[in-house]
Amino acid sequence: MAISFPSTEYFEALKAQMAANEEKFRRLGFIDTTFGVSVGVNGKARNFVLEFEVFDLKNVSEVPAIDLKKVDFQIEGDSRVWREMIENIRRNGEADSAHDINTLAHFGERLKIVYDDPDGHDKLYRFMQSIQEFFDLSSKLEVSF
Amino acid sequence: MAYLSTTNFTEDKAFIDKWLYTIRTGEMDLSWMKSATEKISPEEANPRRGLTYRDLNLGTYGYTDIPEKVRANRSYAPRGAEIPDGVPDAQPWVSRKSELWAFNTESYYEEAVSRQWNATTDIPWDRLEGVELPEVTGKALSQLMTFLTEVEMIATDTPAMWLPRLNPDFIEVRSFIAAQAMDEARHAEVFRKRALTTGWGLMQASPINEMALKHLRDADSFSEMSVALHLVAEGNVLTMFRFSEYLSPTDVDKKIFRLVMQDEARHVGYGMQHFKYVLEHFPEKREVLHAHLDEAENISFAGAAATELTEAFIILAGGGLKKENIEQGVRVTTQFNLKQMQEHFERLDKCGMPERKERSKLYQMYEMGRAAAENAGIKL
Repeated sequence: MAISFPSTEYFEALKAQMAANEEKFRRLGFIDTTFGVSVGVNGKARNFVLEFEVFDLKNVSEVPAIDLKKVDFQIEGDSRVWREMIENIRRNGEADSAHDINTLAHFGERLKIVYDDPDGHDKLYRFMQSIQEFFDLSSKLEVSF
Repeated sequence: MAYLSTTNFTEDKAFIDKWLYTIRTGEMDLSWMKSATEKISPEEANPRRGLTYRDLNLGTYGYTDIPEKVRANRSYAPRGAEIPDGVPDAQPWVSRKSELWAFNTESYYEEAVSRQWNATTDIPWDRLEGVELPEVTGKALSQLMTFLTEVEMIATDTPAMWLPRLNPDFIEVRSFIAAQAMDEARHAEVFRKRALTTGWGLMQASPINEMALKHLRDADSFSEMSVALHLVAEGNVLTMFRFSEYLSPTDVDKKIFRLVMQDEARHVGYGMQHFKYVLEHFPEKREVLHAHLDEAENISFAGAAATELTEAFIILAGGGLKKENIEQGVRVTTQFNLKQMQEHFERLDKCGMPERKERSKLYQMYEMGRAAAENAGIKL
């Protein structure tokens, strides 16, 4: 059954995939960061907070608004861009060179990284490969939009 | 040989007699068993993570109570061990905690160990088979890799040369600095490997780059080195790695830059937390830090604008050497260059030095560059 995006269920499904691929994430190393994902849908935003600890996604929650002081950074973008990224991952098994997080967000044109503390912002890059491979697990899910 | 033992043991009759006596009789001294040291029971705070340095932050073995000035230990005795008479003075240069400590130092080391990767086996080199980049792009990529190899060689030397100068009581910082040297050696390795797999060999070394790098290597104090290396240079290089990932012509290059940026961001994190720590615990050093920044920003401005780097970026960003390619390349590279400076000042601001912009000549350059970009119609 397809999992709807954006939804808590989608991130919970990625969490389950992360646990199922524990060896891969152990190899990548500790990931200790809490970040927000904001998806613009018809002029409104659906916001999620993802808390990673050690090798796991520990907790996912949907919130009315993301407090930038309580997360390291937030990745935000329109649902069309997120959909394009997820569909690309599903087609290729991983994001191709035009659809990885850093490329989509680099100049803030498609996805945007917002933050309060530059030290928190830098955590996106400290855990870049883990975060990328986390989103690449979408290739194992059937997702509806 | 700079250090000679104060005793020639192979000719010391008393020492030899004692050695032979022990072999002959089995009689032991065992005075070390009476060491007046603390007995503790460390436990893993999180069994998923394992037993960390933070879990050992207990009593006399911990780091919380390290005094600002370490006077009791100038040897290689591990912190918390009994130090008998006769251990030599290892002559550490840095025995003041605020000169090198950072908030969360121990976790940066644990993260470094956990996130090590292998340039030989973790990069999908086989995917380069059959990849032939156009000559101009291939040479620009190789020039970028040549430049970065140069950067990473000095970035390896610099932390490594400070290691023996740090008081062994600061074992967590020493461990982090050792891990950093390993990270930088791996970066030099991966960039050299990628340069040589472009099919164009290495390109040209950069005099301006090397002048800038020499400044890092020859710092007068650890704090000066850390400000110049971790905060300024690596901050700039982190933005550069992200830009390089964005421009990467193949998935292999993307993965290389994603992996190196992880290490670089960790080093910048240590640099920021050290900078904050100094400002909070050694406030009289603020002016000295400004002076370090004056010099570090001067050389980082020069290094970032080195012809050998900028032109490679312009070509990679524009896709070639035609007029329209160059226009596009200059536009994107200028955006990156200004972003690099902007992020530098954001970090200093958050570390507790908001006044830096008023004093900094680099900030003047940033404003000048920004105005020039706006006049040229470059969207920022």
